[in-house]
Amino acid sequence: MIAVTLLAAFALVTGDSLPGVALERRTAAALEARVGDTLDLALEPGSLIRRVVVRAIYEPATDPSTVTRRDLAARFHLPDLGALLGATDRVDRFGIALQPGAEALATAAELNQVAFGYRAAPSALIANESSQTFRVVSRFHAAIAVISVIASAIFLLCIMLLKVEERRRDAAVMRFTGVRRRTIFGAVLLEAVLVASLGSIFGVALAVAASVATNSYYQHFFDTRLIFSLVTFGIVRFSVLLSLGLGLAAGALAAWRLVRTNPMILWGRG
Amino acid sequence: MNSRGGAKGNGEREGKETATGAPFPFSLFPFPRFLRNLTRHPVRNGLALAGIAVTTAMLLNMVLLAGGIERSFEQLLLGRGYQIRISPKGTLPFDTEATIPGIERIRAAIAQDPSVASVAPLAGASLYGRRGDSLITLFGYGIDPAHQALYLLEQGADLQPGDTTGLLLSEPAARLLNAALGDTVTLVSRLDPQVIVAGSTRRLVARGVVRWLYDYKGQPSVGTALPVLQDLAGFRDEDRGSAIIVRVQADEEVEPTAARLRAAFPRLEVNSVADLLVHFRERLVYFRQLSFILGSISLIVTVLLVATLMTITVNERRGEIATLRAIGMSRIRVIQGVMLEGGALTLIGGALGALLGSVTAHYLDQILTSFPGLPAAISFFVPHTASLVVAGLVLVAAGVVAGVYPAWLAARAPIAATLRTEAT
Repeated sequence: MIAVTLLAAFALVTGDSLPGVALERRTAAALEARVGDTLDLALEPGSLIRRVVVRAIYEPATDPSTVTRRDLAARFHLPDLGALLGATDRVDRFGIALQPGAEALATAAELNQVAFGYRAAPSALIANESSQTFRVVSRFHAAIAVISVIASAIFLLCIMLLKVEERRRDAAVMRFTGVRRRTIFGAVLLEAVLVASLGSIFGVALAVAASVATNSYYQHFFDTRLIFSLVTFGIVRFSVLLSLGLGLAAGALAAWRLVRTNPMILWGRG
Repeated sequence: MNSRGGAKGNGEREGKETATGAPFPFSLFPFPRFLRNLTRHPVRNGLALAGIAVTTAMLLNMVLLAGGIERSFEQLLLGRGYQIRISPKGTLPFDTEATIPGIERIRAAIAQDPSVASVAPLAGASLYGRRGDSLITLFGYGIDPAHQALYLLEQGADLQPGDTTGLLLSEPAARLLNAALGDTVTLVSRLDPQVIVAGSTRRLVARGVVRWLYDYKGQPSVGTALPVLQDLAGFRDEDRGSAIIVRVQADEEVEPTAARLRAAFPRLEVNSVADLLVHFRERLVYFRQLSFILGSISLIVTVLLVATLMTITVNERRGEIATLRAIGMSRIRVIQGVMLEGGALTLIGGALGALLGSVTAHYLDQILTSFPGLPAAISFFVPHTASLVVAGLVLVAAGVVAGVYPAWLAARAPIAATLRTEAT
């Protein structure tokens, strides 16, 4: 495989004997080229021109590592590109498929001992190295998520506390009429769970809508089919459980403060 | 103007004496009464302050992130005073392995421009350094020692013009090569896998240890005079280089000079720092948009928190507010007081949030600067006074606005009915 920067221009000639090239959809759009069109290619302005015919237009595999670069790509037959570069029988890298059962790591080590001037590496290792960027982004997202969860937890606790404070007189009346503390505690807790459940449902709906909007916007913005936001069952389950847990904890704390207060104070006469 | 007038008018009314001749206690300035309310419910207000502090921290982080990396990148690019970069057509400097032929001829032509103060050709290529029987992979810079903008000298001596035997090393390169100042280092070009020999070998003396400004953390890089690197990289035949940097005498001349160079060299990519920032901004659009969205959410959460708290507080104090109204406090004073309370709550929470935010910004910056290949000198969270002042004002304004609804509730409550209800 060889990757280079090329310059392309149209030529108004036809030629079935010319080398073929496959253009990535965005490249074709940028050049306003269609299948069958002829292109003049050069490594740099003023250098030797090679004439090729557009044989195909293809949609590239979605690759998050290149999505922001917006490079325009074209694919050649290896000998054609070698001739264009003036570097025949030279490549940037080889892809090697191993026989079933062969160990990639051991084979790579063996190849590295055969000759100098290249480095053989298992695909998994390269994938691991090239995904470092996304691991950093994931760590950043996780840190932001932790801050958001802390803010949400405080917000929820505050709201529950305020809601319970609003019920001080109701709680006082219940206590005056003989309702047990445990019953009041349970009622407040139940309300907290209901609020957290409704909030969770609303939150999941909001997240799905935000995810759809995010994908729609960024797919259009970057002209790609890459999925930017994915709401999975696991994420929903985690979020709902976290929300319910926080709601329950906030409700329990607020209810505990309520039931341990003297009813006369709750009534405002203490 | 209206509120001031209202306040003044109310002050006059409130200054009227009672039947006993004593002025009402709130006649001079009633706001401390509202501010004192913040201390009435320590748990509730403490939680609200904590919530505001966390959302403010998030807001601060997002304000820093929004333009931080651009400012950091701009500072990096302008750090040595070169305002224009020239690279092969369709590329950014050192973004690909593409090179420019006839670089000395181009340098000489650019130097003829009357606005140009300095021109420096650069080359970059992968090299090997020999350490015993091993070869260490390095990145090599070819520079013009008289006009350099790529490094800061940390130890030893700089390369002098015409020095074709000297070598500059980054600290990681010196460590990997086990080379000290004055040592001889053997550099070899890429190996040919068929004949297993290097195309070119040079023995150079380590003159200095430098910090390459555009290197990522831990990058082993070396620098030599441009002709030496051209020899090693096989660029010499066509006098190839990777980029050219240009310093213009006056900042206002940068864009006209860049335009002239574009016209003079249509086969090259000419970018001013402003142009490079545009490219950079396109690549980092995600972070700008994320910071805008999360910053907005933080503000909304702050408003909701303050509004909820103030609404419930006002409901609790309906009797007190009705009493104040009954003895002469005007509606506008009540509204001002409640909004002031909201603003004060936000201000105190915001101050705590600023402290928290500076800690979290440092932590988040550590995460993001670990991006592979990112220059070590780049920072994502860079303070900018104007942005911070605007964000602070917006935050306090949001807190004040959050008090509008509860203030309206407080002011419109019927006095007699409220007092009667409260009495029972």
